Amino acid sequence: MRALGPGSVSSFLKIILDVVFAALWIGVVALSLITLAALLLSFNPDLLANLTKATDAGAVARDTALGELASNGSSITSGLLAAALYLAGILVIVGSLRRIFTTLTAGDPFHPDNVARLRLIGLMLAGLELGRYAFWAVSAWLLPGVGRIEPSMSLTAWFSVLVVFVLAEVFREGARLRREAELTI
Amino acid sequence: MPIRVSLDRVLLERRMSLTELADRVGVTIANLSILKTGKARAVRFSTLAALCRELDCQPGDLLVYEAGPDDGFLEEDEDG
Repeated sequence: MRALGPGSVSSFLKIILDVVFAALWIGVVALSLITLAALLLSFNPDLLANLTKATDAGAVARDTALGELASNGSSITSGLLAAALYLAGILVIVGSLRRIFTTLTAGDPFHPDNVARLRLIGLMLAGLELGRYAFWAVSAWLLPGVGRIEPSMSLTAWFSVLVVFVLAEVFREGARLRREAELTI
Repeated sequence: MPIRVSLDRVLLERRMSLTELADRVGVTIANLSILKTGKARAVRFSTLAALCRELDCQPGDLLVYEAGPDDGFLEEDEDG
């Protein structure tokens, strides 16, 4: 089974990445809308009260849940915002991977643009990891003792970041050799 | 590049067009143009042999060395 070119493993992976990319876009948009709604509700709790009054009187459980939402509004909003940002970061990574796999499917792995794409993936992976630490630190500071998650220094994540950066340099060398080959008559 | 390709002059002397040479040698016109305009980074021995065969000349008739400011270092030395 071929790894590169049309009808190869990379074209199959490209289809998977397309599906994941579309799903992530939907996820980011949905999460952003929910965050926006939560932000509006946290600024205007009366709106929530009006909403609950407008619905049928029997929904006590839902009313309680909404009341809880109103009281923890700001923390839920910031949590949602962090999740939206995290998802957006993953979207950028998958988007770059998708474009890399487009060149692999075309049978041109050492396209010069792939270097910048790989570097972007490395930067985003590092950014997401740092964002995770920042999110933990901020949540531990704002909400002490509430569902505290112990931070873990993920060696795998940092190893991946370094591997991606090295791969970017490998691709840079490949692109240089490709350019040389193009100008060899 | 201190190596100049004098393909134009040899073609003129042989009264041969670039298209005809491309057909005879089996190299695309685009690649021969790259060679003619001095943009090529390297020439394969097989291409040089085919050019010499069809133009009935020696490699020295096609390639001329001219010392210049970018002369003296190989690219590997510059990178490393």
